[in-house]
Amino acid sequence: MKMTAFKGVLAVAGIQLITATMALATDITVWCWAPEFNGAAMNEAIARYTAANPDTKITVVDFAKGDLETKLQTQLASGTTEGLPDIVLIEDYGAQKYLLSFPGAFEPLTDKIDYSQFAKYKVELATVEGQTYSLPFDSGVTGLFYRSDLLEQAGYKADALKDITWEELSAIGDKVKEVTGKPLLSVDMNDAGAIRIMLQSAGSWYFNADGTANIKDNPVFKAALTSWVGMLKNQNLYKSVSGWGDYTGAFNNGDVAGVFTGVWMTGGIKGNNMSGKWAVAPIPKLAGVEGAGHASNLGGSSWYVLSSAPSKDAAIDFLQKVWASDVDFYQKILVGQGAFAAYLPARDGEAYSAADAYFGGQSVWKDFSDWQAAIPGVNYGIFTNEADAAVTAQLPGLIDGGDIDAAIEAIDAQIAQQIQ
Amino acid sequence: MQTLTRRENLTGWAFTAPALALLGLFMIYPILWSLYMSFMTGKGMNFKFGGFANVERLTKDPIFLHALGNTLTFLAIQVPIMIILALVFAVALNNPRLRGRAVLRTAIFLPCVTSLVVYSVLFKSMFAEDGVVNDALLFLHIISDPIPWMNDPFWAKVLIILAITWRWTGYNMVFYLAALQNIDPSIYEAARIDGVPARARFFKITIPMLRHVILFTTVLSTIGTLQLFDEVNNITASQGQGGRPADATLTLSLYIYNLTFRFMPSFGYAATISWVIVILVGLLSWAQFRLAREK
Repeated sequence: MKMTAFKGVLAVAGIQLITATMALATDITVWCWAPEFNGAAMNEAIARYTAANPDTKITVVDFAKGDLETKLQTQLASGTTEGLPDIVLIEDYGAQKYLLSFPGAFEPLTDKIDYSQFAKYKVELATVEGQTYSLPFDSGVTGLFYRSDLLEQAGYKADALKDITWEELSAIGDKVKEVTGKPLLSVDMNDAGAIRIMLQSAGSWYFNADGTANIKDNPVFKAALTSWVGMLKNQNLYKSVSGWGDYTGAFNNGDVAGVFTGVWMTGGIKGNNMSGKWAVAPIPKLAGVEGAGHASNLGGSSWYVLSSAPSKDAAIDFLQKVWASDVDFYQKILVGQGAFAAYLPARDGEAYSAADAYFGGQSVWKDFSDWQAAIPGVNYGIFTNEADAAVTAQLPGLIDGGDIDAAIEAIDAQIAQQIQ
Repeated sequence: MQTLTRRENLTGWAFTAPALALLGLFMIYPILWSLYMSFMTGKGMNFKFGGFANVERLTKDPIFLHALGNTLTFLAIQVPIMIILALVFAVALNNPRLRGRAVLRTAIFLPCVTSLVVYSVLFKSMFAEDGVVNDALLFLHIISDPIPWMNDPFWAKVLIILAITWRWTGYNMVFYLAALQNIDPSIYEAARIDGVPARARFFKITIPMLRHVILFTTVLSTIGTLQLFDEVNNITASQGQGGRPADATLTLSLYIYNLTFRFMPSFGYAATISWVIVILVGLLSWAQFRLAREK
């Protein structure tokens, strides 16, 4: 009898112990894409945070970017919050779309984060009606990554790639193919990234500041489309690929000699065993366009906390403690992943001025910093996906010799229809 | 007597009530809701009543018309090919002198037990520019350059037609096989004695005897093709976005999906397009029944 009572006490104590640990342990779930980049940076942040907060368990769930966006949108539309993560990564082009479409779904962080410490354009694109929702992460400042060994074979030193036009790049591609047998680029015809890079390099975009389409009478758009189609007509210039895996595989396997893209590709490029064989040049510029330069942006994204998240407070604390204050953390992910932070104090760290042996001793981060400062600001609006679809729909016809003005008319009509 | 019938009635209703309630909740309510939604406009979760604004938008939407065109192209080319193939297979496999019938029948039917997404992923890898199909065709010297199955608007359509034909021919064949078993062999015997050639037996006996099944499979295939989604969202997809290249394989269902889950969500407009599919299915089925009506 006595024994039973004792057992009972033990059992109750045991249950209390379990509930106590459950209350202490916090689970945070993070959704992101690109494990070698966003995932790796997030894991570094988690390691730093959990060292100080061992009771917090943070799990990163990795998706393909398109899948993540579809899943997030589907779930937000369904109205059920179960299964949503605590923190989600959203690309800058889509930020306004989510914030406007799903009011109340994301947690405003205006009072929690000191936004004066972050790049202004990143803060603005996550602000709706005076509330800012993001923890701004990385910039997508663009560069032309190339295999310095292959281009040297073809007779091009670093200086030969500076201050060129897209047409000149196409001619360089001919020579590279002739000498090395490899195309310069890999191109996925369904990706309109090149058009976006060109547009922003001249301070233009698919849309005007008021959200109306900026296609038909936009000389920059015409120049960008003409240049890109001209490049696509040059079969020597690129290897045609389908999908992200093929696209990155082409230069990571050494099938093609380069890629022009956002700085975030650095992590992937440095993941290969080709130290000293890579270099970075500024992107070419649009010929004959006033205000066109060699600096642009592609992608870049930020972290958002969901209002419905069970571990919302812990998630915000995590973002505050690491993502909004740890300068050393940002040095680490810069060198490791090429995560070019929107957190301004990080720019004063030593890694931002160091030379990188993988890029033949080039001070790539200083170069990217300089280009970053020169990126013209544009308002991305909320219909980037729609505009991309309208542009890529016309590309095959244009490559077969279609009329550029007719295509622009068609793109304009399609976008006008989609943005109502 | 009266009370007994009433009680039986009540019991009947009681038994069917759970099923009816579920049907109402998960079938009828969503259908009515989608009809209501089709009158709504607005971005994302911000709805407002728009009357017939969505219908008006339909008529001016080039992508809708493009998707409609693609869907009807798939329908007009793929359904006849598949129906004829299925008929040919069924008649051939119905021949008792053919050896290994069971194995062949299983082999032809097998594709339609595989998951839509699984076979789509398989097709995607087989038909990649450096995939096995191109490799085989190159090896056999049938082509001199690899076919850009996924990157050329024309070949992408061909690929989708190939895929759904592979997936569904066996399914239709089974219906024909079952129907063929029901044709009295003595009819063929009489025809043979009268000296009717095989060709005529096929067109004058087999086809007319199968007409109801042919109608049934045609209507089913029409509905299936109008709802074509999995294949174009997986095989001709790139970076998580289906219907590639250049929207050459964009179907109505995929466009609905894009409008809801990929683009700035326009739930109302997407609901309107889903009702277009309903109306199309109704119209085409009605037309097919009329055509097949006995004169």
